[in-house]
Amino acid sequence: MELAVEVAGVKLANPVILASGTAGYGIELSSLVDLSRVGALVLKSVTLEPRKGNPEPRVWETAAGMLNSIGLENVGVQALIADIIPALEGLGTPVFASIAGDTVRSYARLAARIQGAGGVDALEVNVSCPNVEKGGIQFGVDPGATSAIVMSVKENCDLPVFVKLTAAVADISRIAVAAQKAGADGLTLINTIPGLAIDPATRTPRLGGVIGGLSGPAIKPVALKAIWECYEATGLPIIGGGGICDTGDVLEFLIAGASAVSVGTALFRDPGRVLDIIDELPGAIERAGARSAGELTGTLTETSR
Amino acid sequence: MADIASPTRGVTCAATLERREEASPGVFILEFRLDGGPPVAQPVPGQFYQFNCGGGREHMLPRPLSVHGVTRWDDEVAVLKFLVESVGWGTERLCSLEDGDEVGLLGPLGRGFSLAEDGKALLVAGGMGIAPLFFLASEMDRGDKEYDLLAGFRSAGQFYRPLSGLKGGVDVYTDDGSLGNRGMVSGGADGRLEGVVYNAVYTCGPQAMMTVVAGISEEAGVPCQVSLASRMGCGIGACRSCVIEGRGAENLCVCSDGPVFESYKVAWTGAGDIE
Ligand SMILES: Cc1cc2nc3c(=O)[nH]c(=O)nc-3n(C[C@H](O)[C@H](O)[C@H](O)COP(=O)(O)OP(=O)(O)OC[C@H]3O[C@@H](n4cnc5c(N)ncnc54)[C@H](O)[C@@H]3O)c2cc1C
Ligand SMILES: Cc1cc2nc3c(=O)[nH]c(=O)nc-3n(C[C@H](O)[C@H](O)[C@H](O)COP(=O)(O)O)c2cc1C
Ligand code: FES
Repeated sequence: MELAVEVAGVKLANPVILASGTAGYGIELSSLVDLSRVGALVLKSVTLEPRKGNPEPRVWETAAGMLNSIGLENVGVQALIADIIPALEGLGTPVFASIAGDTVRSYARLAARIQGAGGVDALEVNVSCPNVEKGGIQFGVDPGATSAIVMSVKENCDLPVFVKLTAAVADISRIAVAAQKAGADGLTLINTIPGLAIDPATRTPRLGGVIGGLSGPAIKPVALKAIWECYEATGLPIIGGGGICDTGDVLEFLIAGASAVSVGTALFRDPGRVLDIIDELPGAIERAGARSAGELTGTLTETSR
Repeated sequence: MADIASPTRGVTCAATLERREEASPGVFILEFRLDGGPPVAQPVPGQFYQFNCGGGREHMLPRPLSVHGVTRWDDEVAVLKFLVESVGWGTERLCSLEDGDEVGLLGPLGRGFSLAEDGKALLVAGGMGIAPLFFLASEMDRGDKEYDLLAGFRSAGQFYRPLSGLKGGVDVYTDDGSLGNRGMVSGGADGRLEGVVYNAVYTCGPQAMMTVVAGISEEAGVPCQVSLASRMGCGIGACRSCVIEGRGAENLCVCSDGPVFESYKVAWTGAGDIE
């Protein structure tokens, strides 16, 4: 059974990736999960300067999911380059850095810094974080801004560039096409969806940051639709995720058009889940009548049964 | 004083319920046997485990619970004790497990209390804060260390009976005066620190109570360690969900820098509580 896939020139031993922000900088998870066995590791998004993030509480469990308002707390690109990327050397799996900025220029500078330092295999450009006051999702809902960011990132680095989009837009394929025209090598779909939880007793929000991002199984149908539409519109390689808990979910994401998949929220309850998924994937692919993971990508037939 | 007991690297394992006992209405002592024998690290007081309570896709987050005791820990068998108040879906599910039922555990996690070499300690517990502090007191009994324990409950019905078996001096406070002293356990701590010479204070309970205890300890010049709680995701320092503010406006990660902190490190603005 062939599990290996290639996405925008990055070779993955299997298509199961750890989602940005849920696996920290890899180091935290390394004693629990043999990271050399995952398809790739996407690091927490970094900004030019370290960020403290939002006030607590920062997470709230919701039906079949959770809201988070971490607010992009991160060590900043300098520490990423100086401390983290070197510590991940020899990990035995591709590492994606993720960048988030509040101006087009900041994305360009982040890309240049990471390119210059080396040690990563690809770049994820987060234009979809719902938890920051400036930038983030404001860029991702705007084809013009997305395009400007992708162009400036591409000008400043030769790494494969994946653009991470939000599904909180009327037509995600417009944004995806804009990213593609600007030179994106791939797409990561989807980021969390903005949401709100309320404590009726106090009439206050449950989260310190008021608004949070919804993740987990609750967003899976939204993610699948976004992937399917973007795959049809662009044909770009897609890393798909949103609520993946088992191999059944993985198959759906591949069929919708993903070449690789990401696991995030499901790690919290059981970090080892990601390895179980990888172990069970060959059997699941075989039962789906395919001989490789890649063979399933984009095979949705548009007649319901 | 030694550094606060450094964090161990937790492991995931399945665990089987061996014994369940209702300690007071809605509060249960749960003993779990770790399947596959003892993992490397034996938990110390203040450390916690993340419980995967099941629930399929409906409930995605694990529930953090402090270790309440080590019933057995040898080459073959590890049995851990937790004290759980049923307050919502997850804890209710745990409290209604039957002997032989399985859950998933990740731990031991975080930094526990670190004990001063000698002298007498004051332990101050409010509500479910008794869970880690009873464990601490039991360990101090084993090590022949001197302490007094002040325990606050809503009323006599919530009293935790095993407290009577501890070697240290135990003083009980209830909100309604139905057992022991009437009033807040933090008030009791205030009086104690004025009179007796303690070399350390260890506290866990509602945030308001810990804030007061930390304040009066600092005033009395006695080092104070607090066991904090906050809403958690991963429990291992990866997701930054559990962060609270430190006194220098820096971020403190409750799951991996804590849950036990020296009180002076905490800003005491929005720190969470365990109740
Ligand atoms: C380090 C630590 C140690 C703890 N030790 C104990 C203990 O020994 N005994 C005990 O009874 N309780 C303890 N708690 C509190 C316990 O984790 C919560 O009561 C429990 O998670 C509630 O889950 P639920 O599903 O029953 O409630 P729900 O309200 O359905 O929970 C929903 C979500 O909120 C979180 N949550 C709810 N209440 C709290 C809270 N007070 N603190 C943190 N997260 C919360 C849950 O983990 C879950 O993610 C501890 C909390 C922490 C952080
Ligand atoms: C606590 C938390 C933090 C996250 N941080 C980031 C981040 O820094 N950058 C990013 O691109 N996505 C971030 N995400 C989004 C995830 O990478 C993922 O896209 C999303 O959670 C959906 O997948 P899931 O349902 O498998 O978690 C975060 C998600 C969670 C739950
Ligand atoms: S709960 Fe994830 S960092 Fe503490």
